[in-house]
Amino acid sequence: MDIYITGASATRFGELWTSSPRSLSRTAVFDAISDAGIEKDQVDAIYVGNMLSGILGNQEHLGAFFAEELGLHHVPAYKIEGACASGGLAAHLAIQSVRSGVNRTVVVLGIEKMTDHKPEDVARALTGAGSESERISGVTFPGLYAMLARAHMNEYQTTERQMASVAVKNHYHGTLNPKAQFRTNLTIEKVLASSMIADPLKLYDCSPISDGAAAVVIQRDDVMSQSMKKKSVTVVASTVATDTLGLSTRESLLELASTRIASTLAYKEAAISPRDIDVAEVHDCFSIAEIYAMEDLGFYPKGKAGPALERGETHLSTSKKLVVNTSGGLKACGHPVGATGVKQLVEIADQLRGRVGERQVKHARIGLTHNVGGSGATAVVHILKKKE
Amino acid sequence: MESPVKVWRNQKKTRELLGSCGSVHSWTIIRVPPAGFESQAPYPVAVVKLDSGKTITVQFVDWLEEHLVVGQRIILVLRRICEPSLEGVIVYGLKARPL
Repeated sequence: MDIYITGASATRFGELWTSSPRSLSRTAVFDAISDAGIEKDQVDAIYVGNMLSGILGNQEHLGAFFAEELGLHHVPAYKIEGACASGGLAAHLAIQSVRSGVNRTVVVLGIEKMTDHKPEDVARALTGAGSESERISGVTFPGLYAMLARAHMNEYQTTERQMASVAVKNHYHGTLNPKAQFRTNLTIEKVLASSMIADPLKLYDCSPISDGAAAVVIQRDDVMSQSMKKKSVTVVASTVATDTLGLSTRESLLELASTRIASTLAYKEAAISPRDIDVAEVHDCFSIAEIYAMEDLGFYPKGKAGPALERGETHLSTSKKLVVNTSGGLKACGHPVGATGVKQLVEIADQLRGRVGERQVKHARIGLTHNVGGSGATAVVHILKKKE
Repeated sequence: MESPVKVWRNQKKTRELLGSCGSVHSWTIIRVPPAGFESQAPYPVAVVKLDSGKTITVQFVDWLEEHLVVGQRIILVLRRICEPSLEGVIVYGLKARPL
């Protein structure tokens, strides 16, 4: 039995002060359902990925909340939380439920509303993804990734310029995405001159605080017509791995083991190798995180990703094969944490269906998404394939 | 507001590690702090490997620029963690002082 993504849609990402979680959810889900060409009453279950609604917005019970809002009365509905990997985890569980035969048609909604709140409160809420001892230390998520960056710099001579080139690339891709939060080009010099957030990470090394929602419809092949199959993409791998909640207790600061393990399992499940991937959306919450991702996903040996990215090897206009973060990534498209993992699936599904216009990767046949929670305590990897 | 019961439970861990020495494995300076830490920023935070082999993430106190290097020796001391809320208990815990 094959499993397909038949519908995919995301709202614009950014500071959406006039939109509520309710209105964002309607836009994303109804667009995805209409893209799939199905009726609302075909939906067997809803999986909602969200991290901060309880702690920032005092609203929990999001399964029932969105089932009501979307008029999907009485269907089973679940909220899944895994910090910034909430969206990817929700998709993983939705896919598992379809694989198991329990469901035939499910909707995954990733959603987050962050900009209603002041930065200190958002920063504190996000530290909920780390360990208690990290919260006591006063460290923030930029701070944790800054310590990863320093370890990587010390071991592999990774430079601040190499990190800056990740932000420059993703901002360029963002200029080609009408839904991205930032649609302006950056330069290496501008990144290096931006204000320090957590040394050595500067403002333009960091993804923003964002609002947004994304949704996909996942279906089993036996409820689909031949014509639907032709214009849909198959899910050939969906894997999850975890690691210690806090950074300090890891065996090594030079890799995110959860990413390495989840991707190794995913390549095995899909019976492919990293070299087969044409297009990928990876978790660049900070510029250094994309360098870790490129190595831990097996695209480059340890210590080799920094120089390769500075040479533009994964840039849409200079890549010979793999293009990374065509949506603009978390950096330029925006990072509404619970929505990100689902938005990655939307971008890859649209790339494989040839629907993204100017930022289309022409040879895209196989795509990968990589969604990370916390400082690597959760990693989710999906591999999608174009129907030949 | 931090539960006083949780603070009381955590004191045991603090007692075990107080006075331990170790060295800095990686560090950063937090310039955009989370709520409760605003009055202390900017402040360094480090991943420290204690001589016992245990590793922890800990805030630096009584520091100078020259202390911000990998390998810097530190001792764990007792300090107030962050600004207490109006009705909450004042939370004390471990921070790292350079040696």
